[in-house]
Amino acid sequence: MDAFLTSRNVSDLLGGVTSGVIYALVALSLVLIWRSTRMLNFAQGAMAVFATYIGFAILAPTTNYWVSMSVAIVAGLVLGGVTERVLVRPLYGKPEINPIVAMVGLLLVLESIAAAIWSTSARALATPFSIVDWQLNHKPVALSPFALYEIVTSLVVMAIVAALFQYTKLGLQLRAAALAPEVSRLLGVRVGRMLTVGWMLSTAVGAVTAVLVASNFFTGLTPSGMDGVFAFGFIAAAIGGLDSPVGAMVSGLALGVVFQFVGDYVNSNAVILVALGLLIVSLMVRPNGVFTRSAQRRV
Amino acid sequence: MARVTRSGRSVGLILTAVAVAIVVAFSSSTRLALALGLAVAVLGVGATLVSLPAVRRGHPVATRALISVVVVDLAILLTFRVSATSDSNVAIGAAMSIVLLGLSFLTGSSGQISLGNGAFMGVGAFTVGIWADHHATTPLLAVLVLATLAGALVGLVLGLPATRLRGPYLAGMTLAFAVAFGAILNVFSSWTGGDSGLQLPSAVVAPHWLASFFGPGASALATSSAWLADISILVTGVALFLMANLFASRTGRAMRLVRDNDTAAELVGVSLPRARVIAFTVSAAYAALGGALWTLVNNSVSPSTYGFVLSITILSLVVIGGIGTIPGAIIGGIIYAFSAGAISWLTAHLGLNPQGNVASQLDGIIFGGLLVLTIVFAPMGIAGLVRRGWRRVRHG
Repeated sequence: MDAFLTSRNVSDLLGGVTSGVIYALVALSLVLIWRSTRMLNFAQGAMAVFATYIGFAILAPTTNYWVSMSVAIVAGLVLGGVTERVLVRPLYGKPEINPIVAMVGLLLVLESIAAAIWSTSARALATPFSIVDWQLNHKPVALSPFALYEIVTSLVVMAIVAALFQYTKLGLQLRAAALAPEVSRLLGVRVGRMLTVGWMLSTAVGAVTAVLVASNFFTGLTPSGMDGVFAFGFIAAAIGGLDSPVGAMVSGLALGVVFQFVGDYVNSNAVILVALGLLIVSLMVRPNGVFTRSAQRRV
Repeated sequence: MARVTRSGRSVGLILTAVAVAIVVAFSSSTRLALALGLAVAVLGVGATLVSLPAVRRGHPVATRALISVVVVDLAILLTFRVSATSDSNVAIGAAMSIVLLGLSFLTGSSGQISLGNGAFMGVGAFTVGIWADHHATTPLLAVLVLATLAGALVGLVLGLPATRLRGPYLAGMTLAFAVAFGAILNVFSSWTGGDSGLQLPSAVVAPHWLASFFGPGASALATSSAWLADISILVTGVALFLMANLFASRTGRAMRLVRDNDTAAELVGVSLPRARVIAFTVSAAYAALGGALWTLVNNSVSPSTYGFVLSITILSLVVIGGIGTIPGAIIGGIIYAFSAGAISWLTAHLGLNPQGNVASQLDGIIFGGLLVLTIVFAPMGIAGLVRRGWRRVRHG
């Protein structure tokens, strides 16, 4: 049993799940916005990093991890809401490249401001759990207490979002506003407010993701640290289907595992080629994603 | 009517004679002679052409050729006016114009957008670098053509999914390509030099035809950036001319229909996949050509230059200039040529520490901010504002 747990394949699987939950969270964050507004939030990573800086850089010397995490989540909620109200709202109904351009601009502004205030050098975050792998008979298992905490936290976040959408009145209104805005408005749903709530939720999920990434990916917190993670998260969401929260999360998890095996058995640089290849093939075969059931949208 | 024709022709002949005289008179300073000569020749040829019936009715190809020559001429005049240290800025601005023309065409013709054109520039740059490593004696223009073809090839492969994709998906895919470009280069590190990139073997030498045109000891040959500025401007002129024709061609018109209404385009028999792949491939090829020129000016190729930030900068320039239009791309290139100087001026006048965090991020904050403001308040950029202003002036 010990030998099994420390074997190469199980190590790859555990490592893959650890990064896969992160891609799943990014994908979920993108889907939350896509479903309601048909926009891909290219500033997702930058907004998440900015919220994390607010939580961890401003409060760093005085407070503990949990307070900083909470502040980062609140900062994410505020940042998401303000962005939707101020920047996104004027862009509804405009050509589809306008919001893309605006989000890319926001990305550049946020990353530059973060670098101007906090510099581009990596900032190590205090972590509540050790990031050193557990040992079994003096051999490492590819899982640390922090990685376990990261996986559990991600699953909890996904469960909270799912429960919110499935079992609360707010969730029902959010779904209604996304699927049938006109009808919902007639039935008394404040559609505009629901869009704001969607952006707030998405950015808060992003903030949690960035906190986890900055602690566990050995990179520390940097202004552009989420660019690569965002790319993988987008690939996961696009393959799973931007319309399908479950699909996005499943494919994020699966991609994490696949990438880990490719990186171990082939070459760590080959991972990105495999990722791009998978994206291209899956978009050509199923342009709307593997998990999307709805018919092709032609507007 | 006949009188107009005759006078136009005689004015043309006189101006052409003046052009020859100027070239002879200023032959000690060849570049000034070249610029002035071109300017007068443009007037001369223009006047002659105006007298021809075809052009009087507005023959489009001739008009586009004239405009391209005028732009080239203004740019060469500019290189004469600015000091030698800015030659490289002019060269880089011209190279950037080519990249922007490509992106503008993609958006103007198919309504799509690419966040990976910085990486396509890198494809051209590394083609030049790798080629120079092995075949240093290849003529410059052949290398440029090769780099363009390499960009087109990579663009074609990445553009294949574009046949079935709409805006956000394609943008995300190109973003992934831009972010991944460094890692992709590492896969082929035996050719590309991995993280450290490539140094061009030696300072590139001006091609013979250019050297013999300027004559020995000409100031335009003193530094490589000086003659590369001329080459870049000339190539930009050719690229501009080709792009203007492509925009107006049957293919270009079909593509604009795809942009405005893809269902209608399909109904009249336009192949959507074909139109989209062509647009994407052309945009990648133009980016690679610009990147190839750029790397000749820099004399080295480094993966970090062609990162995600460059792709966003390209997007900012083309949106601020006016996305989907040719003047917008040229305006963006001019902005880029002057942006480094403008930002250091701003740094000095704001009293910032030039080595500080804020100063080093100033360009990102300004470009990003302008990008957001432009797309919200003036989505057609400077070109759109000028056009609107011009209409107001004409129609009151």
